[in-house]
Amino acid sequence: MTPRLFTSGCAVVLIGVVWAMPMRSVKAQGPYVGTDAQRESGKQLYGKYCAQCHGDKGDGEGYATPHLYPRPRNFTTGKFKVRTTPNGALPTHQDLVNIIRRGMPYTSMPAWPDLTDQEVANLAYYITTFSPDFTNPERAPKPVELPSAPAATSATIEQGKKLYEETGCTKCHGTLGRGDGASAPTLKDDFDHPIRAADLTQSWTFRGGATREDIFRTMSTGFNGTPMPAFVDGLSPEQRWAITDYIASLSGSEGPGYTNLVVAKYVKEPIDMAKGAASFAAAPVAHLPIVGQIMEPGRAFHPPTTSLSVQAIYDDTSIATLVRWHDRTAEKTGQNGPSLPVAPEEEEEGGGAAEAAGGSPFGDAEVAPGAAQPAEKDPFAEAEAPAVTSEFSDAVAIQIPSETPATARKPYFIFGDAENSVDLWFFDLAQAAPVQFTGKGSADVAPKDPTDVTGVASYANGEWSVIFKRPLRPASAAPFSPGEFLPIAFSVWDGFSRERGSRRGLTLWYSIYVEPQNVPSAVGPMIRTALSILAIELILVGWVRWRYGSRARGELGDPSRPAATHA
Amino acid sequence: MKILVVVAVLVVFGVLRLRRASLLAWAGAWWVGLYVLLRFGFTAPIPSSVVTIYMGIVTLAILAYVTSSEERRGDVSGPLVRFMTERRYTPLLGATIVAIPALAAANVYVQMNVPLQPPLFSRTVHPASPSEITVHDAKINLDTAENTFLHLERSNAAEYRQHVENGRRVYYRNCVFCHGDNLSGNGMFVHGLDPIPTNFTDGSIAGLRDSFLLWRISKGGPGLPEEGGPWDTAMPAWEKILKEEEMWEAILFLYDFTGQKPRAREAGEHK
Repeated sequence: MTPRLFTSGCAVVLIGVVWAMPMRSVKAQGPYVGTDAQRESGKQLYGKYCAQCHGDKGDGEGYATPHLYPRPRNFTTGKFKVRTTPNGALPTHQDLVNIIRRGMPYTSMPAWPDLTDQEVANLAYYITTFSPDFTNPERAPKPVELPSAPAATSATIEQGKKLYEETGCTKCHGTLGRGDGASAPTLKDDFDHPIRAADLTQSWTFRGGATREDIFRTMSTGFNGTPMPAFVDGLSPEQRWAITDYIASLSGSEGPGYTNLVVAKYVKEPIDMAKGAASFAAAPVAHLPIVGQIMEPGRAFHPPTTSLSVQAIYDDTSIATLVRWHDRTAEKTGQNGPSLPVAPEEEEEGGGAAEAAGGSPFGDAEVAPGAAQPAEKDPFAEAEAPAVTSEFSDAVAIQIPSETPATARKPYFIFGDAENSVDLWFFDLAQAAPVQFTGKGSADVAPKDPTDVTGVASYANGEWSVIFKRPLRPASAAPFSPGEFLPIAFSVWDGFSRERGSRRGLTLWYSIYVEPQNVPSAVGPMIRTALSILAIELILVGWVRWRYGSRARGELGDPSRPAATHA
Repeated sequence: MKILVVVAVLVVFGVLRLRRASLLAWAGAWWVGLYVLLRFGFTAPIPSSVVTIYMGIVTLAILAYVTSSEERRGDVSGPLVRFMTERRYTPLLGATIVAIPALAAANVYVQMNVPLQPPLFSRTVHPASPSEITVHDAKINLDTAENTFLHLERSNAAEYRQHVENGRRVYYRNCVFCHGDNLSGNGMFVHGLDPIPTNFTDGSIAGLRDSFLLWRISKGGPGLPEEGGPWDTAMPAWEKILKEEEMWEAILFLYDFTGQKPRAREAGEHK
């Protein structure tokens, strides 16, 4: 076969393949949903790994469901959040495979890295059996075109920022992307469950993934069944990429960069709380993860706060700690407290479900009518957060041991224990100042008198900034001593999610290190070491030259050996 | 042993032997070779303090060998003396004299700038259990107690499955947040926990009695003895939330899901 003949042969085959491809999809009865054997194998896996949350019938009503937020996917509706297909369409097989493989960060849907490719594929096929849509030829999913990424530049980020505001992203996601838009408190999904707009400054929590490609796909195809619309028709690919670049730039880093240490820096000027966060510029930021208080009755399975940023400074007399966290709404009315009661049945409702049950101050009656049907509503419609009074206010607490631990033993991390108590600096953000409690366990929290902790709190653009200040060495509390570590833990309450008392987000014990005023410089010891070694070397070389120099010059042999044996 | 490292070191020794290297090169090669073996030659890393002790012994042994005869001492000191006295080596000698203090100073800098780490406390992962615990007013002897429902496995399979299923519900309503969907200790809160939750799939629970699990589940972190570090683990004392039967059912589920069996009582211990 001549090369020319071969080339044209290839071209004919190629044309044939291209021509045959659309024919095949026309002939197909809906999307390919695997063989009976594959679906049966998927069913076995589903029973073992998935049914406890998604339910035996795939309706999202499993054993775990009452405690989960977001709720497990109901497969019978054919609505899937993360897809490459248009809004309202079914996902492709590969979309299902991807979400099983990668999971959804910061939800109860884990990644499944240990299943084989075949197992994941079989699971994806089995999931299609829950909805008749998957066998409907008219609903065969066709992925939208997702052009590859142009380079991100400061110009595209700037353009994306403008488009972000013009397109109305701020209405839900907020001016600075912290998920605190005016509509955020009213958002519900198609199943009438409250839903939180993503905090765009924490890409590691994005449900659909954090890469630029993931953000672009979510922007393009939206999240089915939620208020997040698809922009594939509304915006050009360049515009979507620009917004993607802007959103990607909001997170600052790829991961949360959690740490286990707060370092308090010395400042010469006496601490002035009126200056707010500006005083803390020199102090490193410790990013600490928040987990649900699921250890004591009155549990919080899905606290809305996922992390805190903590900084600390001290002057000659006091130490000040700045705690910042993202909160979609500031609840500055009502009350909160470390031991407010939580009815046992409220646990069953889960974090977000309590809001759905009408427990939220923003009940159905107060929500703008359009907001309840996000699928049909204009996503750009104006919606104002109703001005209502919350029953529970937001609150935050810092916890340290009442006495510096003499041994490795610390008080229990949830408000201490009977033998080892803790000091709680508690700030009900409906009040003007913090108060102090002594904790000997969750059931034994008593006010501590007198309170020597002062504080200021402010809320702006979806973020609380709270400063606590306390004397370095008070008469009746653990001192902060330069050069020493002290255990420290935090609790945070979101009044909007009816968090109070034991129902809250918290951290385990971390450490605060009071960095000495003068950190010893390495230069002195470095010079001393270098000079002393240099001196030893010079003495050694000098001695060797003095001892052997005259004989070695011009002569290669070892002076201590007769030259004859060397030859 | 990491075969590649061992072979590499032996090859170097062999090449030096064939090329009849000087005693000084030999001594240096042995010192470096043994260090590489100790540091990188073992699959399980040797603690640096132990490596330091071994290298001290190696150093003494090499020194003893090279000074054991007049001839060997000469073989080693000869090249060193020539290096320090002969004119052609002067630039190299100068560079060495500068380089050694510079390296030492750099080392001091690194030592003084080690990132701050909060104090670490050791803890026992599976501390010894007490012989008896009280759960909901019921005294349970941990030496003799057995899972309430285990005997059903042979006598009444249907009822047994029902209890496993109940345990599954208990697990996914309570334990899944930390111990994870596939029981491997990677639940959604794991990034905020230290120590990390137990992995039930790694075989460790097969080495434990089911009564030990009941103790750990019912009393949790607060019920750990002093050496277990009760102040750090987030494991709740589940007796505050679950009934005794629910805990036994959860234990049943843990072994069933992972396909493991609790450690059998030894022959003499049977009731």
